[in-house]
Amino acid sequence: MASTTRTAVSPFLDPGPRTKANSLAILQLSRDNLQPVYLQSPTGVHDGYAEGAVVNTRYGSFPHSTMLNVPWGSQIRASKVDTGSRGRKRKRGSGDDACREATGASEKDNEDSAAAANEDSAAGVKQAVADSSGFIHILPPTPELWTTSLPHRTQVVYTPDYSYILHRIRARPGSVLIEAGAGSGSFTHASVRAVYNGYPSEGQRKGKVFSFEFHEQRYHKMKKELSDHGLGGLVHLTHRDVYNGGFLVDGKSPEAEAIFLDLPAPWEALPHLSRRRPQSSTSADEQTEWVSPLNPKKSAYICTFSPCIEQVTRTVSAMRRLGWVDIDMIEIANRKLHTSRERVGLNLNFDRGVNNSARDVEEALTRLADIEARFREHAAKPRDGDEDMDSGDEDAVPAGKSSGPTNGSDGPSAEETSSGVPPWMEGRLITRGEPEIKTHTSYLVFAILPWSGRGG
Amino acid sequence: MHSVVRPNAWVALKLPSGSTKVLQIAPNTTISLGKYGNVSSNLIIGRPYHLTFELQDKLPDENFSRLRVVPASELHAEAIAEEEAAGCSTPAAGAADAVISATDGEEFSLFDDKGNVVARSNHEVIDENARQTLTQDEIEELKREGNNAGKDVIAKLLLSHTALDQKTSFSLAKYKLLKTKKYIRRFQVLPIDVANFAHWQLEERDANKIMDMRAEMIGLVGCWGNVHFGGDDVLLEDPKASTAQGEEACLPVNQDLLQGRWLVVDDTCGLLVAAMAERMGVLYEDEGKEAEGQTEEQNGAAVEQAATATEPQELQVRPAVPEPVGQDNADTEMADASTTPVKRQSDGKPKQQKPRPSDFAIPYSQTNSITVIHGASQPNLSLLNYWGFDITSPNHPPHPLLNHLLNLTWLQLLKPELDTSYSTPPLTATPETLASWKPSRRGNFHRKRRRYARIRHIVDSTRAGNFSGLVCASTMDPISILRHTLPLLAGGAPVAIYAPTVEALAAVSDCFSVPRRTAWVSGNVPEIEGLSHEELERWEGNERFPLNPTLLQGVSIQTSRARRWQVLPGRTHPLMTERGGADGYVFTAWRCKPAEGKVAAKGKFKRRKVETESEAATPA
Ligand SMILES: C[S@@+](CC[C@H](N)C(=O)[O-])C[C@H]1O[C@@H](n2cnc3c(N)ncnc32)[C@H](O)[C@@H]1O
Repeated sequence: MASTTRTAVSPFLDPGPRTKANSLAILQLSRDNLQPVYLQSPTGVHDGYAEGAVVNTRYGSFPHSTMLNVPWGSQIRASKVDTGSRGRKRKRGSGDDACREATGASEKDNEDSAAAANEDSAAGVKQAVADSSGFIHILPPTPELWTTSLPHRTQVVYTPDYSYILHRIRARPGSVLIEAGAGSGSFTHASVRAVYNGYPSEGQRKGKVFSFEFHEQRYHKMKKELSDHGLGGLVHLTHRDVYNGGFLVDGKSPEAEAIFLDLPAPWEALPHLSRRRPQSSTSADEQTEWVSPLNPKKSAYICTFSPCIEQVTRTVSAMRRLGWVDIDMIEIANRKLHTSRERVGLNLNFDRGVNNSARDVEEALTRLADIEARFREHAAKPRDGDEDMDSGDEDAVPAGKSSGPTNGSDGPSAEETSSGVPPWMEGRLITRGEPEIKTHTSYLVFAILPWSGRGG
Repeated sequence: MHSVVRPNAWVALKLPSGSTKVLQIAPNTTISLGKYGNVSSNLIIGRPYHLTFELQDKLPDENFSRLRVVPASELHAEAIAEEEAAGCSTPAAGAADAVISATDGEEFSLFDDKGNVVARSNHEVIDENARQTLTQDEIEELKREGNNAGKDVIAKLLLSHTALDQKTSFSLAKYKLLKTKKYIRRFQVLPIDVANFAHWQLEERDANKIMDMRAEMIGLVGCWGNVHFGGDDVLLEDPKASTAQGEEACLPVNQDLLQGRWLVVDDTCGLLVAAMAERMGVLYEDEGKEAEGQTEEQNGAAVEQAATATEPQELQVRPAVPEPVGQDNADTEMADASTTPVKRQSDGKPKQQKPRPSDFAIPYSQTNSITVIHGASQPNLSLLNYWGFDITSPNHPPHPLLNHLLNLTWLQLLKPELDTSYSTPPLTATPETLASWKPSRRGNFHRKRRRYARIRHIVDSTRAGNFSGLVCASTMDPISILRHTLPLLAGGAPVAIYAPTVEALAAVSDCFSVPRRTAWVSGNVPEIEGLSHEELERWEGNERFPLNPTLLQGVSIQTSRARRWQVLPGRTHPLMTERGGADGYVFTAWRCKPAEGKVAAKGKFKRRKVETESEAATPA
């Protein structure tokens, strides 16, 4: 139970205007290359760096000191770092270092630097010197950014699925949501944002996520992550096998109205999510009072997430027997599109991505006529008795010349084409799918369990 | 919210035909379900949502149909019976071949008392002769005579079509008829939330009105826009300005208080705003307080309206409501008259009144708010009426949107000096002058001053910027929207733009292409030479650079499509047809703060290797 003193609002829910020490930030190295980092105040030489903690990337080195207390979204220049002894100690590719550094930082973060954060002992910390080599951007954490940058411990639910799921299971400010299993926490972060309507004070009912995970290491990792992210008071994580143990917390009902099951066998967990004692329960249980984990006065919305159709069949069958209605099975297909300029033409420069063939019939005609003209000119000249000139190689002779006046070095500069159109505006704007698409994530089964109107 | 059907709630009735009827449940009225019959609204009020009801036949001495709650076991009986039959090693004799189909695609099956399918109608060859056995008239007649609302008819119909010997060996007493589409008078009551409403509007009403926005898109835009509860309400203190004071007495904008605000451009008639309000916890009237149990007394309120009307705009009658908070509610009241502590409600009950806020009081929360920028002089948010909010009503009963929805025109945002209501200083009058006026003139005076203070607050606070995100679904060119809204976004704020088709979004994305960005920072762009950092942030755009290409990061376009499946024993497959039309696309990016001065691109390149490594870390 994380009902400790009220900590600051999670950076996921309110990041404030600027980056802060000991708080999560997401570094965007390139469009799809994101890296989470817990920023640390410089407290002295760190891991061999005179500038304190440093993130190394292939875009350069970025001391935390250059990323602290800057507006979110800031472009950060790389720094010339003083590796001191460190350069000799490790000499791997900068890319690997970047990853290790980030995780190292996140793990160290809570043990030592939390205490040191306020000391602000800038003494002994070397001022970072800007490097001309590169830059990154620093973004506030959101579930979307976290989902693509989190340390994977399991398969995770990505934004195209969770955005749809949360909409369909009506996860809204004030909702109480049950989730199992927590896995890597991707869905957890998205769902806590959805149900958040303030941190509860003593005894207050506020939007909350009750999450369950039976894998011990994952449970501990998640627990720590949640508190690092300031979400401890909003997510109640329980270490439990929900097939056997169900969803009550300290014997009490979470009173949930939204449920998400990302488990291998949802039908094993479903009987626990009833309004009354399910029929299948053994007679030994009959003595004890049965408590439902659902909100007794609201319809409960569920989504189960299973990759295989056989799981769906069993889940749906169990739902039908347990009184769920409006059972609906969905699969989400998401595609990212890339835009680019399709540049086709004989008179374009030889940039990458330019297709130097005729842009249209007219351009082809012009060239062909040109070739013909040259050819005739050539033919009109006195020959040295070679008769099979008319066969074959029409293209071969004049082709070299025919690519026209704007070839290679005598073409327009990269900055401006002959037509005055800058190269980035040349050609037709097109969209195309990414090279590889996810064609199947999982099947989503939705259902609703109404309440009877008689208090349960 | 949405625990039980409240009086005057908007609901969706799902009919056996699969179609939906959206209407307001006024007490003491009759709801027509068309050919299925009529329901008395009072039988639905107070009942939980999502129950399926069956209209019973009228009792001889009653003039209404009672409702029976159909248990889920009955709703699923056919599927469960099929599953069980499929589970048996030997299918019951005749189960497969003694099947007929009846008229136009109804689905129903007849089971014997062991749960075997005797006749099934929906997916077997249609027996032409059988179809002619009963006329529609006969069906109607049978329907009327039966006690059991349609079931007997269907059973007879089915039997009359079935192989003869079965007919004899199979007595009506033993049959169990399950699930039909056409003749069983069942309906289900669903709440009007954003998901249900949008589905109905898209599939059955007018998809155009909401720009073909599918559920997938509503979810994506909300998440990528990071739209969520933006903090507890912060209200500014009433400046208590006297009527003799002018604009100098208006509250200044306090930037530090402005938090958790989203900027919106909405051409979906308010669906987008509703979806955002739902995500922020400011859509439902009873939000924040569990107002169950206080529904009873409102029942008696005089409500006269056509129970079948489907446009909320047509129905403005609502039960008596408590004192509105801080709206233009009392145009003929003196705002400064503290001598009227008791006001008579329309229900005749005296009501204790809070001191009325002064003209310059600002009713808007500084946090958790939605700011709508619109192109016409009034925003079109008519669909919000389904959630009890009428943006055009000057006399609005309490609603969370009143304090959390701000709207202004593009003119007010970009050229406020040209907007009369913003640029005309407020009227002033000494208390003595005021007292000498007729009440109507006084009312006007106060109304104008209130309006002035509010517009001024909205415009000034919007122009102060620092928004937490921008969300759009607009028919306007998104490039022009971004040109004027990017400067208003806080660093790191997300941008999420929905469009039914991809072209306009591709054009935006092209403004941020790598070649364009590279050219911009190369130092060889004459038009931006010598511009300050601030000027670049407010870059007005030209043909070569419609937008400052360094103001957004992570530009991306995506589309999502939900594919629906039928899950039945032995017959699980994707649906054969679904709604076509616009797929819907979402453009996403983050506002960034470019470093001042020249920044060279990437440094060291150990490229391929690192890239594949980091990608390998992400399981496919
Ligand atoms: C695919 S992962 C969930 C991923 C998660 N939804 C996310 O987005 O990160 C499934 C998790 O369920 C857990 N799990 C499996 N069976 C369980 C059970 N019976 N009780 C609790 N957790 C269980 C597994 O340990 C695993 O971590």
